[in-house]
Amino acid sequence: MARRGAPVDVVGVGRTFALAGDEVTALSGFDMHVPAGGFIALIGPSGCGKSTALRLVAGLDTPDEGTIDMDGSSPDEMRRGQRIGVAFQDPSLLPWRTVTTNIRLALELVGRRHDTKAVDELVELVGLQGFEKARPSQLSGGMRQRVAIARSLVTKPDLLLLDEPFGALDALTRQQLNDELQRIWTARGTTTILVTHSIPEAVYVADEVLVMSPRPGSVVARHTIGFERPRTRELLLTDRFHAEVEAVSASLHRSEGQVVQLDTDPS
Amino acid sequence: MSATAETAATAPARPAGGSRLDRVPPRVLSSAVGIAVLLLWELLARTVYAGSYRLSPPTAVVVEFFEFRGLYLRNLWHSTKTAAWGFLWGNLAAMALAVASTLLPWLRRSIGAVVLTVFCLPFIAIAPILRLITGPGNATPIALSALAVVFTTYVAALLGFDLAPGSALDVVRSYGRGRLTAFRSVRVRASVPALFAGLQIAAPAAFLGAVVGEFTGAHRGLGILTVRALGALQTDRIWVIAVMATIVATGGYLAIGALGRYLCPWSPALDVGAVPVPHAEPGLLNRLAGLLAPIAVVFVFWYAFLWVFGIEPFFAKTPVDVWAELFSVSEAPETRSIIFGALGTTLWTTSLGYVVGLVGALASALVFILVPWLERALMPIAVALRSIPIIVTTPVIILFVGRGLLTTTAIVAVMSFFPTLVNCYTAMTRTPEGILDVLRSYDASSTANVRNAYLPTSVPALLASARIAVPTSLLGATVAEWLATGDGIGAVMVTAFTRNDFKILWVSVAVLTIVAVIGYWLVAAFELRTLERMASGISR
Repeated sequence: MARRGAPVDVVGVGRTFALAGDEVTALSGFDMHVPAGGFIALIGPSGCGKSTALRLVAGLDTPDEGTIDMDGSSPDEMRRGQRIGVAFQDPSLLPWRTVTTNIRLALELVGRRHDTKAVDELVELVGLQGFEKARPSQLSGGMRQRVAIARSLVTKPDLLLLDEPFGALDALTRQQLNDELQRIWTARGTTTILVTHSIPEAVYVADEVLVMSPRPGSVVARHTIGFERPRTRELLLTDRFHAEVEAVSASLHRSEGQVVQLDTDPS
Repeated sequence: MSATAETAATAPARPAGGSRLDRVPPRVLSSAVGIAVLLLWELLARTVYAGSYRLSPPTAVVVEFFEFRGLYLRNLWHSTKTAAWGFLWGNLAAMALAVASTLLPWLRRSIGAVVLTVFCLPFIAIAPILRLITGPGNATPIALSALAVVFTTYVAALLGFDLAPGSALDVVRSYGRGRLTAFRSVRVRASVPALFAGLQIAAPAAFLGAVVGEFTGAHRGLGILTVRALGALQTDRIWVIAVMATIVATGGYLAIGALGRYLCPWSPALDVGAVPVPHAEPGLLNRLAGLLAPIAVVFVFWYAFLWVFGIEPFFAKTPVDVWAELFSVSEAPETRSIIFGALGTTLWTTSLGYVVGLVGALASALVFILVPWLERALMPIAVALRSIPIIVTTPVIILFVGRGLLTTTAIVAVMSFFPTLVNCYTAMTRTPEGILDVLRSYDASSTANVRNAYLPTSVPALLASARIAVPTSLLGATVAEWLATGDGIGAVMVTAFTRNDFKILWVSVAVLTIVAVIGYWLVAAFELRTLERMASGISR
């Protein structure tokens, strides 16, 4: 079966952008540890640098300070080694390609274009049988996201990075895709980092939820989620689940409150 | 541009090896390139091309201008005035037609067909025909200048009227008011940005029309001055004229662009070249009617033109006469072999030139995408050159390349190069960041990026440019042939013109126009099919 995922160690990472002559610090002192095969959810207020953190781990951007290490490799080495799969809020499919060929794109890019079995397997895994020949414009938003997820998985990456992949979807579709994501993750054991706005989503799918402060972003709380797997929708109705959601929610509100205090502090 | 701030925040660290030149301001880079080109030009003209009549050194051009500045400024003023009148009348006509098309939708197809046909006319050859009506004065260049702007302004105004927000139109309708009120209160205002984009293109086009009108005979103006200088091999003079024409045409383009931005600061830059092609209505009968009605209207106009101006039968040829000339009179086979033989030559050299320009433009656009500092150095120059009516500079190219089949190819290549480059590059820069991120996350090679992202995203712009390029390339080719090469249908027309053989002239004009219209529609049909197949994801 699949390789076990890579562990991710992020220590003291900072990233500052120059914006219209101004400097904006997106991340500062950001720490994160994801064990091999772990599933981490990053949650925080808008603009707290969640996506920046993910892009740094993906090797799409480089930190100004701090280190990111994955199994002895830098993000850039991971990227160059083609060991990463990404899916963003925008599915970013190629409109002129079909479902199958969009998924195959990732294989083409890593030089394994003939691995048709992997493509077929994933089409089935994300439930798109019968739509193999459809183009993105003929698919619903949820189906497009599934294609993007399938594309991110088809190369059997050691690290899966998801930036609000279900952000633009309705609640029902979203829940359905979360179930599938969990199923896929259980089957593959890929190290996964999910950036999300939704607390219930984070609590439902992740082993650990990291709560981030507003800009400059850093991790202010960690919640280990101990629910047994596979998690089912019944879990959503339990008091344990609600208590966990409440706890994360409280951390999130505290994190925002702290900064307001810091800002108003005259010293 | 607002994109700068955004890219600063989201742009990924470019792969290491980004050149230090990336930090030099674009103005400095472009100026440096401009000066380098001037120096190289001077050097070449003084050494390799010295005494060859092919290339004038920039210093000689300046000296020539000041020595005969009275002559030059007088003629420049004359041509500019002609172009200004043409600009005025042509744009008024275009806007009136666009208003009619919007208020009376059932007229739209027919008006569109007439306007397209006008755009496809070989202007250089209809000058002698127009002169029959207008006499030897300045009216023919003005008329040509007006005809040269009708199509683009019509398309732009129509696009503008159509861009009116549907919800605003519904508000007007909900108060029980009709189309006219909606037009007055919503559409007119909404059309301003698109209209200005069209008027901007019309400025150099009007100048082109005026100069082409003067090529075939006028008392004054840059066109006739060029033709005389070409006959006398006065290289410096031809260069001075080309430079002046370029400056005035580009100045008009920039001035109207600035006015448009001043009047509608909220509006993004609109690309009128990218107007979507109309969808065919369903049903075979509808389609047939949609095809035949415009053709019928064009023929009605043809007859009306002859009748209104009461042109004598010796000069005036009806569609029936043209048909007879080609297919039923005794010398028809000979006429056919002359016309179609020459047409073959023209189409062949034109297509070759177009493909050369296209391949060059695509390659340059890709180089610009992959090497940002080169783009910053050269793109401003390409954007400026795009607005130049290249046809006006035909004599310069004739001198440089020589008189032969290659001249036509060179002119068409230069004509297609700049618009295709600018349009395709702009489209490539709009490749969604998300797609590029996905490619980057797999460490995709430049080749993979080009194949999977940049090239496909530029296809709509490429096809839109190609559609417009069909008539303009044929115009460029016939002008070159008329003035210089002695080959192709342009040469057939100039021979007929000098012999007062109006039969051949009319037949050539008709055949060329039909070929251009068919070419335009073939590209449009291909464009529609491709866009449908590539899905809406990348079109605007």
